[in-house]
Amino acid sequence: MTGVAGDSRLVRWAGGLAGGAILLVAWEVAGRTEALGSSWLPLTTVLEVYGDPVMRDLLVRALLTTAGEAALGYVIGVGLAVVAGSAGVLLPPLRGLIENAAAGINSIPWILLGPLLVLVVPRWIGPVAIAALAVFFAVFVAVSTGLSAASRVHQDLLSSLGASRLVRFWRLQLPAAMPELVDGLRLAAPAALVGAIFGEWFGADSGLGLLLITSMQNFRIDLLWAAALLGVAASLIAYGGFSLARWAAWRRFT
Amino acid sequence: MSEAAKPVTLKAGYAADAPEPAEPPHRGGALTLAGVTMTFAAGRRGSVTALSNLDIAVAPGEFVSIVGPSGCGKSTVIRLAAGLERATAGVVEIDGRPPAELAQAHELGVAFQDHALLPWLSAADNVALPYRVAGQRVEHDRVKELLTLVGVHDFSDTRPRELSGGMRQRVAIARALVTDPTVLLLDEPFGSLDAVTRRRLNIELQRIWLERPVTTVLVTHSVDEAIFLADRVIVLSGRPGRVIREEGVPFERPRPAELLTDPRLHSMEARLVEALEAGELTGREA
Repeated sequence: MTGVAGDSRLVRWAGGLAGGAILLVAWEVAGRTEALGSSWLPLTTVLEVYGDPVMRDLLVRALLTTAGEAALGYVIGVGLAVVAGSAGVLLPPLRGLIENAAAGINSIPWILLGPLLVLVVPRWIGPVAIAALAVFFAVFVAVSTGLSAASRVHQDLLSSLGASRLVRFWRLQLPAAMPELVDGLRLAAPAALVGAIFGEWFGADSGLGLLLITSMQNFRIDLLWAAALLGVAASLIAYGGFSLARWAAWRRFT
Repeated sequence: MSEAAKPVTLKAGYAADAPEPAEPPHRGGALTLAGVTMTFAAGRRGSVTALSNLDIAVAPGEFVSIVGPSGCGKSTVIRLAAGLERATAGVVEIDGRPPAELAQAHELGVAFQDHALLPWLSAADNVALPYRVAGQRVEHDRVKELLTLVGVHDFSDTRPRELSGGMRQRVAIARALVTDPTVLLLDEPFGSLDAVTRRRLNIELQRIWLERPVTTVLVTHSVDEAIFLADRVIVLSGRPGRVIREEGVPFERPRPAELLTDPRLHSMEARLVEALEAGELTGREA
């Protein structure tokens, strides 16, 4: 019984690995043969950039800056989303107002916000703010739907036990919301990274976004590839980490 | 007098430092439904009347079973008594107080058809939930005692997902009893169980109840279960539900399992089923 489930999981993993390997080989071949033009570098050439100590140092510093901004923006965005989503549930009269405000914030195009932020706030705040913005709505929606995910019979049980609104929130709605919430957190992690990189395009002292822009302007195609690949790897690692958290949350709370 | 004094006397036995309450157990409150009509809005087409001019009185310490055809509003009686719904007309009271007030005072014990255990809590934590919801200190000895009483003690740390259907209902009943409620409301607690498990739990519920008899209303569609457990059986008609027959149960407690195959029980069952069938027809016509 577990053998069958284990086998199918193994097949899926093997399939995923094989798919990845084929993609990497295709990348290398396309680069070597210049089938997609001379700007498409072979994978090995890109990897060589990481071998150069100067370049590596540059890339690592850029990654750390961007990751720091993304993390800070993530924490701020998630914090605001959790507070706003919870307030909507705990204070029903405010619910409509909060939902409209959240939808309004979500409708702001980042691309308009970028240049404005550069003018208005210190440079490092721009990427953080855009990362927070990128995170906020997905998590807000997850919190709002999660907090109303508790089943009718559980709500009835808490009513019959005489639960106050706060007790109901803490004992029922919050734990019942955890799987949805972690789902939202997982979706938001790559979004924070994208938001931070995007914010850096409009002016930053360091970071992957800045590196992408300057490599492009200086025609350092190898560095451009290396920076982009690093961003992708960071995004995948963040997503993978939250996938584990999600798995744990589903096991714990359902 | 009793209104103000009751909550204090109820908790007194457990609030004291003595682990075992020495005072005689209370017998629970008096539940009254008088002239109760319950109408639900049913979309644009108007409304559905679930209960019509219903009168039920349950004395302190009495165990009453309510049987009736499906959809007759049996569960609505429980929901009214638990303060989860408000009657369209008529009065629902426990010791002269509205049920919602008792719920807020953490004096109700309810077991639902769906066990309603919280999936992220262990069996013991589920049983301890009423204390936590009430903001009281968890009486771990009492939780352990209840888990032992319902025979789930070895599975205290097990989560509901890993328990069998019968185990889950035992835990749900332990949870309904743990804070020593004024009224115990059981809404088809064994409805989803197989016949063998159900019969075993009937016998166990009797044993548990006899340890601490409290005013109890059991809603069920099983007539022999209703008779076996109750002092009195009430038959409701089909929708809208009205009381069409009441019969006291003459058998001495504790009732042995063999009673379930006793001809005296069977003849009573036959009478009630006959009333049930006749009531179902009048209900459908009305």
